[in-house]
Amino acid sequence: MSTSSNDVESIGNEIEDAEDVPLTGRIAARPRPATVWLVGVLLLVAVEFGALLGLIFELLLTIAGLLPGDPAAGLLAGAASVAAEIPTLLSRETIPNGGYFDGGAWVNTFLGLEPMYAWALRVVLVYAYTFVWLAWLWRGYQWFRTHYRQVDWTPRDDMVGRLQGHRWGQFGLIVVVGFLVFALFAPAVSPVTAQDNIYNPYGNQFQYYSETTDSVAQTSAGVANLQSTSKGIPGQNVGPLSYDDFGRFHPFGTLTTGKDLFTYMAYGARISLLIGLSTMLGAGGIALVLAMVTAYYKGLADLATVLASDSVQSLPFLLMAILATVIFRGTWLDSTYGGAPLLIVVFTFFYWPFLWRAVRGPAFQIAEQEWIDAAKSYGQKPSVIMRKHMIPYVVSYMLIYASLSLGGVIIAVAALSFLGLGISPPTPEWGRIIAAGQPYVASPSWHISLIPGIMITLVVTGFNAFGDGIRDAIDPQSGGSEDGAAAAAAGGGGG
Amino acid sequence: MSRWRYFLKRVLLMVPVTITGMTIVFVVIRLGPIDPAAAIVGMNNPEGIARIREQLGLTQPLWQQYIEFMVDLLTFDLGQSWVIARGTPAYDLILIYAPRTIWLGVWSVLIAVVVGIPLGFYAGLNPNTGGDYFASFGGIVWRAMPNFWLAIILVAVLSQSQELLGFSWESWIVETDIVTPPDLAFFTEPMGLLTNTSAWTNELIAALKAVAPAALVLGSASMGNEMRIGRTAVLETINSNYVETARAKGVPERAIVWKHVFRNALIPLVPIITGEAFLLIGGSVVVEVVFAINGLGYLFYTAIQNADLPLVGSITFIFILVLVATNILQDFLYTLIDPRIGYE
Repeated sequence: MSTSSNDVESIGNEIEDAEDVPLTGRIAARPRPATVWLVGVLLLVAVEFGALLGLIFELLLTIAGLLPGDPAAGLLAGAASVAAEIPTLLSRETIPNGGYFDGGAWVNTFLGLEPMYAWALRVVLVYAYTFVWLAWLWRGYQWFRTHYRQVDWTPRDDMVGRLQGHRWGQFGLIVVVGFLVFALFAPAVSPVTAQDNIYNPYGNQFQYYSETTDSVAQTSAGVANLQSTSKGIPGQNVGPLSYDDFGRFHPFGTLTTGKDLFTYMAYGARISLLIGLSTMLGAGGIALVLAMVTAYYKGLADLATVLASDSVQSLPFLLMAILATVIFRGTWLDSTYGGAPLLIVVFTFFYWPFLWRAVRGPAFQIAEQEWIDAAKSYGQKPSVIMRKHMIPYVVSYMLIYASLSLGGVIIAVAALSFLGLGISPPTPEWGRIIAAGQPYVASPSWHISLIPGIMITLVVTGFNAFGDGIRDAIDPQSGGSEDGAAAAAAGGGGG
Repeated sequence: MSRWRYFLKRVLLMVPVTITGMTIVFVVIRLGPIDPAAAIVGMNNPEGIARIREQLGLTQPLWQQYIEFMVDLLTFDLGQSWVIARGTPAYDLILIYAPRTIWLGVWSVLIAVVVGIPLGFYAGLNPNTGGDYFASFGGIVWRAMPNFWLAIILVAVLSQSQELLGFSWESWIVETDIVTPPDLAFFTEPMGLLTNTSAWTNELIAALKAVAPAALVLGSASMGNEMRIGRTAVLETINSNYVETARAKGVPERAIVWKHVFRNALIPLVPIITGEAFLLIGGSVVVEVVFAINGLGYLFYTAIQNADLPLVGSITFIFILVLVATNILQDFLYTLIDPRIGYE
């Protein structure tokens, strides 16, 4: 597993150290790898510190906006603008792509590059940054294993080892990470900001090179958008990887409204991710608590939960979601962030039975183990037994089904928005552009519907592959017990 | 516990499940922020609202409304439509719209089963070959595609079929539109098959062609699932001890595959096939809207869009019944084919 000198050292350490030296003590005994790793982390955080603070304040602002009276809004907004002033490596200020052509050369773009290359450079750097992070975390885990962990082997090592040989799971991991980065770094990877291009296009002036007058002119993004629409006619189409008449680069082309599709999708990924993760946290939490209670107490508690979950599952999920979005139209659940809170509540309500069903079996198996009996007779409280002796075994199963169901949630959100329900404009959402591009699928403006659809398929496949990978890593013998997983994956309810 | 007692217990459980499910619907419709009466006549008409409230029984105390709601539905007194077809009994509306959905559903199950299971079995019998990889990967991607997206792509491809595929879908075999409800009138006169054979079969083919693309889309997720489960099930049984034994005894390979492998591999496919009911009912809205098949999903969608909440409640009740019945069917099939049931 590791080199022999390391082994000798670590065995020596083990003998030297008492049984229970806390991690801080072990680090103090050999500070070098930990220090190097920590310095690396600090460096990685430092280059993106402004963006990190901005993200935190934006999140706090959204939460504060949900509370009545909007407390501390001014304070938070002020803090957010201060955070925006901190220079960050991967921002459009450091590597700008929004310049103009003055007849001879590009002005205001990064190093005078064409906007296309400036933008591509930024995207490549964003992804490189992420993968450096991943590599550094992996390195940290390895150092922890060789230098600080007291035992030579844990069952987790085998899981990690199996995942290392699992190409399909790794493909899933890469797609999932790619999607997370796309959503988290939306302001950095999109060629224009959502504020300037989608929410408030008329409040933003920019310069461009006008061919007719052969000089640099000024216009607002709103006016420019109206002349960069994609409407399926050769003259009225800005396809993928092309410039519009105003020197703006569109990696995925433009929408029927002339807005930038790539920007729209990056911000749309944020809302899909928010709803998907919140739903899985909510439904997973409910399912985990219920699985513990039913496995520990059995009997009536189990029967009541079976009844409740079967009742929820007897309702047609997508239809009830449609009903709920109409019934709660106009309430605060629906008017905040395009209606995301409402969808989270509805999806949580419909997804916990799937997740509970999935972990009920493993939870019952664990509850039968001798060490649970031992803990009981030792006089440990039920809550402690559940937390310390049962949850750790069940939680990895939960991860499998959460990953498989997340794809279903993403599809369901898109399907609702496709029908004109779900997320309301102007908040970007993938399903709504697919609907907008529907008349143009077989025309030069095919990109409007096709690209978001392919992206959804890719992301859902990625989450499924990732779930498969974790399942095979946790339990290599479980190849056959796929039926539950398939049901969960199809839980999107036919969106 | 014997197998049939286990089955009986499952069936009995379905009674409280149905009632709880309907209670949830009642809570959403009657206690939600929308007043069904105001939704029907509009906010600016106070007398109208009062009159409709009276007619809908919304002036009664809540427990009485609840009992009435449950008793009405459970005795199949489904009320009437208030907005989209004012005064028409919901029962009649459902009878008009349901056949198209059933027609669509039957074909989507058939297409998925006929394509998905053989492909899965083929992949399982030839693991890790090019054909296996192609089928497995295709199944995974096929399953991940959103129905609504697949539907609009298919509509676009078919409407350009002359240029893209080299033949015109609309005039292929019989003349049909691409997005159109199937005309099921021929079912009302089955004797036409004998008296007027060619016209009758033409109508049958036209009705089939009208729903075929929609059925393909609706069955897509299940097709992928059936393929994957079929593959793993075959792989698992083919490596099991009893197959080894049969092989050692000298049972011919053909008999092993058909008698020992396929029959056992079908067991894990049962919940996938019955589970299609969920996908069909959920997906019916999206697919029927895109393909303009005015079936139950479309009726439900229109009823909701027009705030015809009493009708929505009745249709949901029908859907719950279908899903509960499918669950019972699944338990029944399990009890019948899998002797391990009830011994967990």
